[in-house]
Amino acid sequence: MTFEEIHKEYWPKVYRQCMGYMNDHAAATDIAQETFIKVWQQLPHFRNESAISTWIFRIAVNNCLRQLQKDRKMPTSELPVELMEEASIDLEPQVQFLYQCISELPEIERIIITLELEDVKQKEIAQITGLSESNVRVKIHRIKEKLTVKFQQHDQ
Amino acid sequence: MTNNIDFKELWNKQPIAVPDTKALIEKANAFKRKTRFKLITANVLLLLTSVGMGLVWYYFQPAFITTKIGIIVCILSMMIYIAFLNVMSPSLSDASVDMDAKTGLKQLLELKEKQRFQQTVLLNGYFIFLSVGIGMYMYEYAVRMPFVWAAFTYGIVMVWVGVNSFYFRPKMLEKQQAQLNQLIAKFKEIGTQLKD
Repeated sequence: MTFEEIHKEYWPKVYRQCMGYMNDHAAATDIAQETFIKVWQQLPHFRNESAISTWIFRIAVNNCLRQLQKDRKMPTSELPVELMEEASIDLEPQVQFLYQCISELPEIERIIITLELEDVKQKEIAQITGLSESNVRVKIHRIKEKLTVKFQQHDQ
Repeated sequence: MTNNIDFKELWNKQPIAVPDTKALIEKANAFKRKTRFKLITANVLLLLTSVGMGLVWYYFQPAFITTKIGIIVCILSMMIYIAFLNVMSPSLSDASVDMDAKTGLKQLLELKEKQRFQQTVLLNGYFIFLSVGIGMYMYEYAVRMPFVWAAFTYGIVMVWVGVNSFYFRPKMLEKQQAQLNQLIAKFKEIGTQLKD
């Protein structure tokens, strides 16, 4: 697979994953971009020890976790509302609410559920996070329950 | 109200535009160039200063041993700093990124602890060595000056060293350490989320 093909196929997946983690278009775009820059740099060293998707998601997940290191001088949440709207892309309210609910979860749960929603196999999620497969399964079940409750409360 | 919300469908509902690949590669290259330029600039500046001090030794042939020791100490402290910039610093930020989150986080935590230690030791060492070096280097020339001038020159240097040691350095360290400590605490907290 060439870098162009990888970029085309995986950009939406990685972007969504970052969006679920950050719930901020600008920040998600930044992390997705950093992820692909690393993919581009490391691709010659990729030795097919894992599936390419596992490899890419591992880089994306590590990048998400490392975001804490960056001193975001002005988090979007502190911007005036008008500016915030400009900074984000047009999202359907339901999709926006989903991103919001996910971003309110603890970090690892955010990662697990975004990967699950991206149709990544549970075995692969276990390889990406370092958790056991059974633990991943249990966690996915619990996170979905949490999200369902949030959606139900939102609908009321 | 339903218990069966299809989150996957919702998740995939939003069309995502793929940005231009060429622009991304260009950005990656620009970033690489910028990082390299910064490293080269720091190296060249410190090396030029060291060479300058070496030339002073060569051309002015200082008579006192203190001057020579001063020059050596100054050059040494700059060399240690250069070594850190070139060898350790990249290894701190360039950790492997394609390991699983659990291992990645563990490695990151170790690196941050190391960084916390290195920042303190390196910065303190650099300031102390440089101050001692300059103080010794100046001695020969101060002795040849009239007392008032010597006192004045040493006074200025002492003020500079004092401001650095008691104002800038603690401030810098405090800021870096506070950030690092906060980061380490947060990484540890995330680490607990990854316990099986």
